[in-house]
Amino acid sequence: VIGLYAMVSGPLDGAVGASGEPLREVRCGELRLLVGAAPPALSPESLRAHEAAVRGIADACDACLPARFGSGAADDDELRARVEPRALELLEALALVRGREQMTLRVQEAALAVPLEPLPPGPGARYLEERRRARRLPELDPLRAAVAALVRAERIERQGARGLLASIYHLIDKGTADAYRAAVAKVDGLRVVTSGPWPAWSFAPEVAAP
Amino acid sequence: VSPKRSEAEEIIEHADASLLEIIDHVLNKGVMVQGEAMLGVAGVDLVYLRLSVLLCAADRLLEPPGRKR
Repeated sequence: VIGLYAMVSGPLDGAVGASGEPLREVRCGELRLLVGAAPPALSPESLRAHEAAVRGIADACDACLPARFGSGAADDDELRARVEPRALELLEALALVRGREQMTLRVQEAALAVPLEPLPPGPGARYLEERRRARRLPELDPLRAAVAALVRAERIERQGARGLLASIYHLIDKGTADAYRAAVAKVDGLRVVTSGPWPAWSFAPEVAAP
Repeated sequence: VSPKRSEAEEIIEHADASLLEIIDHVLNKGVMVQGEAMLGVAGVDLVYLRLSVLLCAADRLLEPPGRKR
């Protein structure tokens, strides 16, 4: 069994896995898959080690699509067989993340103070407006506007859990994290927890699933 | 409740904020752990519940992690 760490473009020497093992490259067309030892058992330490290994890879190369913890395959051929049908999608994703990294925002529901336009009076119009707002989360518009100049791609996940309105994943150019944090800090009316920069976890298509 | 599930819940229950961020990034989207699909389903919900508990004000810290998919 082999464990998958990341897909990268371009050569990368000296990458190491979660247990310090040297990673090797499995080629799948233009894609380079970095593989190492079989995924370890789940634990806080193994999760941190996987994240650290992927971070090392992402820092050392221009474009890196992280593989989630536990990704792997029985052998190189099986891995190629899983990745190959998605090669085009993966190459597009690699192009998107090239020279970029991810910031993550957790927006708290309890802290919302952005005034919204009143809902329309008619039941039909009100229903449609509620659905529209639920989809695009207009409460987040001031935040989006504040970082728009820095953001190259965005993913928003509305969270159902109480206390957390949404998780926002932004792809920004490497080296602009400080400017991004400063822009977020200037937004009034939202309580936001910012973390990053991270490798582009939320912009990597799923691969090597069983 | 499978052993894997208890293990994941144990980790999430005792995780600090930085580990929760790692859990979200490293596990989100439903990747399997050695053939176990649980973490991608109930586990991610638990992550968000725990995240919301951690990130909100101190008076809400006792929010029970009850909702599961």
